[in-house]
Amino acid sequence: MEGGKMIEARRISKFFSIVNKDGIAEGLTACMSVTLSIEKGKIITLLGPSGCGKSTFLEILAGLQAPTEGEVYIDGVRVLEPLPSTRAEMETYRKKYRFLSPLANDLFRDRPKHDIAMIFQDYAVFPWMTVLQNVTFTLKLRGLPRSEREKQALFYLNKVGLGASVNKYPSQLSGGMRQRLAFARALSVEPKAILMDEPFAAVDVLTREHLQDDLLKLWESSGITIVMVTHDVAEATYLSDEIIIFSPSPGTIRNRFKIDVPRPRRRDDPDLADIEVRISKLLKYDVDNECEYSI
Amino acid sequence: MQVEQQYGSKGLGLLTRESGLFLKNSFGSLFSREFIKVLIPLLVLWEVIPRFDILPRTLAPTLSDVALAFWDMVVNKGLFLHILYSLAKFLAGLLIAVLTAIPIGIFMGWNLSIRKHALPLFQMLAPIPPPAWVPLTIIIFGIGLPMQIFLIFLGAFYPILFNTYQAIKDTDPRYLSSARVFGASELTLICNIYFWNALGAIIMSVKTGVAIALVMLVIAEMYGGRSGIGYLLVEAKDFFQIPAMVVCMLVLGIIGWFSIELLKFAELKLALWKVGR
Ligand SMILES: Nc1ncnc2c1ncn2[C@@H]1O[C@H](COP(=O)(O)OP(=O)(O)O)[C@@H](O)[C@H]1O
Ligand SMILES: [Mg+2]
Repeated sequence: MEGGKMIEARRISKFFSIVNKDGIAEGLTACMSVTLSIEKGKIITLLGPSGCGKSTFLEILAGLQAPTEGEVYIDGVRVLEPLPSTRAEMETYRKKYRFLSPLANDLFRDRPKHDIAMIFQDYAVFPWMTVLQNVTFTLKLRGLPRSEREKQALFYLNKVGLGASVNKYPSQLSGGMRQRLAFARALSVEPKAILMDEPFAAVDVLTREHLQDDLLKLWESSGITIVMVTHDVAEATYLSDEIIIFSPSPGTIRNRFKIDVPRPRRRDDPDLADIEVRISKLLKYDVDNECEYSI
Repeated sequence: MQVEQQYGSKGLGLLTRESGLFLKNSFGSLFSREFIKVLIPLLVLWEVIPRFDILPRTLAPTLSDVALAFWDMVVNKGLFLHILYSLAKFLAGLLIAVLTAIPIGIFMGWNLSIRKHALPLFQMLAPIPPPAWVPLTIIIFGIGLPMQIFLIFLGAFYPILFNTYQAIKDTDPRYLSSARVFGASELTLICNIYFWNALGAIIMSVKTGVAIALVMLVIAEMYGGRSGIGYLLVEAKDFFQIPAMVVCMLVLGIIGWFSIELLKFAELKLALWKVGR
């Protein structure tokens, strides 16, 4: 848990070109010059009204989308290494991956770009694999030898309390259990950081609080860096070390709140409630302004 | 654990149980209490109406006429051998269609560039009704097995191709993303994500393909060759043997029903994960 930067995003911008309802192409700015650095072992939440580019930003951090401008570094390694442009670069690239072309490399070889995991809203666990297969599949992608996969998968499934349902299919699980499966899948590869996009949005309140506490337990025992997107201000204040508030059109960082309330925290802590009120006000102001614009 | 117990027993026992289950699931409806009440009166009416000359018996054979014709065809014409010929051609054509249409569909759904290069060609050729291919096919392949198999293939190819392509294209991007985050290559995505996600739709499309392939089987056999149910059908027409024609029609119906049920069963077995959703 020693200091140092885990994730560094430098002036990330993302533009989409979309076709509006009159059939005319126009530009859309999902993220505008977002700079953010996240320290190792912290929990950071991104808060903001929907459509302000939080998911897009998270996917850029994960390397699932290329930013239009800017760079992301995870633990000092550039995400989405740009393709070689000169002949010399190409040579080193080929030597590095021992394949004829970067394209073939991406086509045929499982190769983690960097050491993170991501959890999506609605879980995105694979319904055609059993609980166990869901986890062993990701371990296979990470190149773990066959003999160790099942052992490690079972270890993490037990850790999240799914040890009894390893041979079930996700359709036979409840929403909360599916979320646990997504956790197990992400934790099993022992990543340096986990990115989560509204992980608790689709479960009921009681399950949600339960899962939040479980998440904190897992976090304390592993010291992973967590970046989370949420709509829920209470959730953000309860969990995070720092809250980043996004504002819409164009999506950019508006405020940052450090939360120094010591852990373990209580949900009814008056300090947390105070912060929650301040953040809610801020968000409400944003939304109200947005409405004035559109009227 | 439970699943293992259920499917643990090996070999013959498993085979008999599975096929018993299959027959019961698929054709049990024929012998359900409700349908028997419809079936028996129908059969009786079939026997009785021509006998009382409500319909002329030469045109509408009775049940017993058809049964006799069936027996006659089995003994004198080798009906079962002809059924076997038809089935072999049908399966060959269908298999070729499955083995070509599914990969092409997968590649078109997976990659935009491949799609843009290939799709318009298929979109142009697909609306041609398969029977319209018969004259050209006969000229190119001559009358015989290759022409028949090609026509059957043609009937099944396009429905499988287009449905596979559509299902692959519509794969939920979150499934892809969550595999990509862990470093999945495109090949892995195709084998482990796209394909399985689309499997239900693919099996559905094979069902459609089977229906059209069956049409093409009859057409192909009626136009040429000396074997198969379609051939028997034309022969019966030439000699004005109406009971024999009815036998052929019923046999074709049963082949169609059987193959559809077989696919449904496969769907049930493969798509175990969808049960109880
Ligand atoms: N692939 C895309 N093409 C076009 N526009 C997109 C795409 N992805 C996201 N957007 C737009 O970018 C904006 C931000 O989206 P998103 O990151 O999902 O917001 P949030 O997660 O904060 O709700 C939205 O206006 C959305 O419509
Ligand atoms: Mg979102």
